[in-house]
Amino acid sequence: MLTQKKQYFRRKKVCRFCVEKIDDINYKDIKMLNGFIAERGKIVPRRISGVCGPCQRRLADAIKKARNIALLPFAAQI
Amino acid sequence: MRIYEELFIIKPDATEEEVDQIIEQMKGVITTASGAIDKVDKWGKRRLAYRVDKHREGYYVLIQFTSPPETVKELERRLRVTDSVIKFLTVRIDETLKRLEKRKKHREKRAQRKATAAPAPAQPSVAAQMLGTPEPLPERPAEPRP
Repeated sequence: MLTQKKQYFRRKKVCRFCVEKIDDINYKDIKMLNGFIAERGKIVPRRISGVCGPCQRRLADAIKKARNIALLPFAAQI
Repeated sequence: MRIYEELFIIKPDATEEEVDQIIEQMKGVITTASGAIDKVDKWGKRRLAYRVDKHREGYYVLIQFTSPPETVKELERRLRVTDSVIKFLTVRIDETLKRLEKRKKHREKRAQRKATAAPAPAQPSVAAQMLGTPEPLPERPAEPRP
């Protein structure tokens, strides 16, 4: 059975926010937040988006706030 | 005194006067509690991401204000009571603004320090040109590979 293939090399992932020096991850900026939610509306995990720890926490907070105020869906239909 | 941001959604079938009336009511709540309104932003009708109270669209209004903490409870109570308001969200933003200011200042200081340090190494070459010394050697042409 094919198990999970090991990643022998890992390209250096950089946090988009730290590189572009964006401080303000606002829940109102859904254009930016849309880049971090999957098709079904789920929050993209850090290991895929390459975001650093603190920024991912702020991002998740912002997405949850946006969901609460109907700017983003909780579960979208693909 | 803390800085808050209130984003609420009014039913889409409300008229402009009703919208303004609700905004005035909320502004009144804030000012009676010795608060100050920083800004009011009407986003207008927007499509909602999901159905709220059987509505698919809503009129968004954003109010940023400074007030003592107890006012928020009263404001939220008023919003809950108002029939036309279908959703609201209160966010405290004074700490966020402070953090953003700090980061901005930090970045400006670093940029200034870089600006003062950068001209220093460039000066010798300018001085050399003025004295008439030969220009620095041009880059070595690519050596033909055997």
